[in-house]
Amino acid sequence: MSEKKVTCGDVMNHICESLGEELATQRCKEIRAHLKECTCCQQYFESVEMTIDFYKNYNFTASDDVCKNLLKKLNLE
Amino acid sequence: MDEQKLIELAKAGDRKALGDLVKKYTQTIYNFAYKICRDKEKAENTMSETFFSMVKAIHQFDGNSKLSTWLYRIVVNHCFMLARADKSHLFNDPETDEGLFDDRYFTDWSSLPLKNVENEELRRVLDDAVSQLAPEYRIVFMLRDVEGNSTEETAEITGLTIAAVKSRLHRARAFLRKEITKAFQK
Repeated sequence: MSEKKVTCGDVMNHICESLGEELATQRCKEIRAHLKECTCCQQYFESVEMTIDFYKNYNFTASDDVCKNLLKKLNLE
Repeated sequence: MDEQKLIELAKAGDRKALGDLVKKYTQTIYNFAYKICRDKEKAENTMSETFFSMVKAIHQFDGNSKLSTWLYRIVVNHCFMLARADKSHLFNDPETDEGLFDDRYFTDWSSLPLKNVENEELRRVLDDAVSQLAPEYRIVFMLRDVEGNSTEETAEITGLTIAAVKSRLHRARAFLRKEITKAFQK
């Protein structure tokens, strides 16, 4: 068990690992416990997740012409 | 045909296999380049340069990393070169933005009208926020969060340490969250 109590600042610094990565270490378990109790950190966590989700769904597609021209330029038609 | 076989054939000079690999990654590289460059023409040029580099150097691909990681490394290099050449934009540097973790941005997002916002409005806000982010932060955010590369892969692609990737990602996320909160609180 870590001696130092988890603070909001620690949560902010570990938010990287808590998004999409396994939280296996003792420190991360404590951060998860903190997250359960702290509204401020929950809001931060949720807002970051929403930001990422929005941007994941915001995609650009190359047109068929662009794809054909690329293969032509590369001499791979 | 699986990717490994295509790579072997492409390395041996098979043009059809090389073409299939280009087709497989065209949309991924274009989408990534567009999100970094914020410009259709620049995205197309960056994509072309990336695949020119791939075709030229495929025989050097050692298979120690995934082909996608190798391609991301090439496209990121082209994006960095373009960003360095473009002196016309001033970007926000999250490293010096002390207000990123200000209390007023720890809002309850359920109170913001995000769910009722038309896609176009949300796109505009996101575009504004992302275009203000310095390219070195934008690239890390895109690689790790949007494209789903691991922290280790992102470090390998960008040549940064894992600690630097985490730090940049953390600040990029906070910057975007701040900008989106500000936009919808207006």
